[in-house]
Amino acid sequence: MNASKTLEKTLVASPERKLEADADLAVVRQVQAGDVAAFDRLITKYRERVVGIVYNMTSNREDAADLAQDAFIKAFQSIHRFQGQSSFFTWLYRIAINSTLSHLRKNRLRAFFSLEAIREEDPVSKEVIDALTDKTGVGRDTFVRELQEKLNDAMQKLSINHRTVVTLFEIDGLSHQEIAAVMDCSVGTVRSRLHYAKQLLQAELQPYLPK
Amino acid sequence: MKPDSDQKITLEDLLRLKRAERPAPEFWVKFDADIRAKQLSAIVSRPWWDGLARGFTFMGRHQMPLGAAAALALTWVGVQHMATHQVASPHIVKLSVAAPPAPAPAAERVPSPVQLEMGPRLVVDAVARAEVAPAKPAMAAVSSHLVKAPVSLPPDVAAQSPFSDGLAVTFADYRDQAPAAVRTAVFGSDGDFETMAAPVRQTISDPLAQVDPAQERRARLLDSALPANPRAMVSDWIRSRSADDRIYESLDHTSDHLLTGIRF
Repeated sequence: MNASKTLEKTLVASPERKLEADADLAVVRQVQAGDVAAFDRLITKYRERVVGIVYNMTSNREDAADLAQDAFIKAFQSIHRFQGQSSFFTWLYRIAINSTLSHLRKNRLRAFFSLEAIREEDPVSKEVIDALTDKTGVGRDTFVRELQEKLNDAMQKLSINHRTVVTLFEIDGLSHQEIAAVMDCSVGTVRSRLHYAKQLLQAELQPYLPK
Repeated sequence: MKPDSDQKITLEDLLRLKRAERPAPEFWVKFDADIRAKQLSAIVSRPWWDGLARGFTFMGRHQMPLGAAAALALTWVGVQHMATHQVASPHIVKLSVAAPPAPAPAAERVPSPVQLEMGPRLVVDAVARAEVAPAKPAMAAVSSHLVKAPVSLPPDVAAQSPFSDGLAVTFADYRDQAPAAVRTAVFGSDGDFETMAAPVRQTISDPLAQVDPAQERRARLLDSALPANPRAMVSDWIRSRSADDRIYESLDHTSDHLLTGIRF
């Protein structure tokens, strides 16, 4: 029963997301009717998630800020073309991811990483760090910094599409169906990419995964 | 998932750490300022094709209402056009009625008051309409006018000749001026002629036929002096051949019998 619920959550968008999409559509209609200030609500609502996705794909803080801003501006400029056939956040994510993929393809040979600090306010993250530092016995800050770099290296070894799938599913928490809609591919493709990406990450991060 | 010392740390737990990488609050202040500037810039400087794209999007979204509105507008314009045409038509009909029902040569020989008052363009239009529409009654009127006369001209010739009405009018002029003997020889007695011609004249409803011959002649002379001369519609050859002077000169005034010879 519990497993089936988890499976359903990974496959299909949750009812909360649907309610959220309806609320977004109402705001979008206001913007389309000429209420430009209503778009600020959408920016405030989605800026952290969009920046988080772009940041985890580029591993660069400045690039993430610029690309996220460009994604919002593109969405604002073409919001009159949004007809509500998909949810607004799916549409916005698609714009952001396409911009990011284009940026990464252009600057494939030029990669500068500027990582954000891990906020330990999240209890799960704090417990993971606690468990790992206890086992290794190394200084906490040094270990967290090293782990962060290893994670970043492992992510950068993935192809752009695999990295995008992992980012959307594991970090942002989208379902397979939503990822397929955002990346304009089938759900099967999403699953196979996710499986392959996890295998690679598992191999890269083996020292941090005790048997 | 809540890892402790007894529980294995999975890949998902490690990736969860990536979710905790968040920028500082100052980052969002700068982010908001930058995005607002970009948004204002986007509002001010929209590309030239943006309006076009908006128009196409709007049309694509409202195909049915726009199509219905266009059909309605076309229908309205059509109805308005027809109404205007129907209002303008009575004037044309009035001109056609006012124009002489006779064929074009008769109309040009004796310009009616309507023709004198109308401009050249209207006269041409009226004559053209008279040629097209009421040709049959006009021909009948002319042929009856000639057949009733004692001069034995075949009715079909009289009807087909473009200057037959001109001949009739000229003979009427000559009848006023010629001696009584000649008139009797040519036309028969006045009593006979008048008894034959009177019913015809009364039945003719043509306003041109009711004009006095002297007035016709005066109008003809005036007509030649007018710059906008409807005679331009008839060829010069016919006009020269059918001139009154030529017909008058062809008459033999010395003999008792009137000899006419018309040379073409």
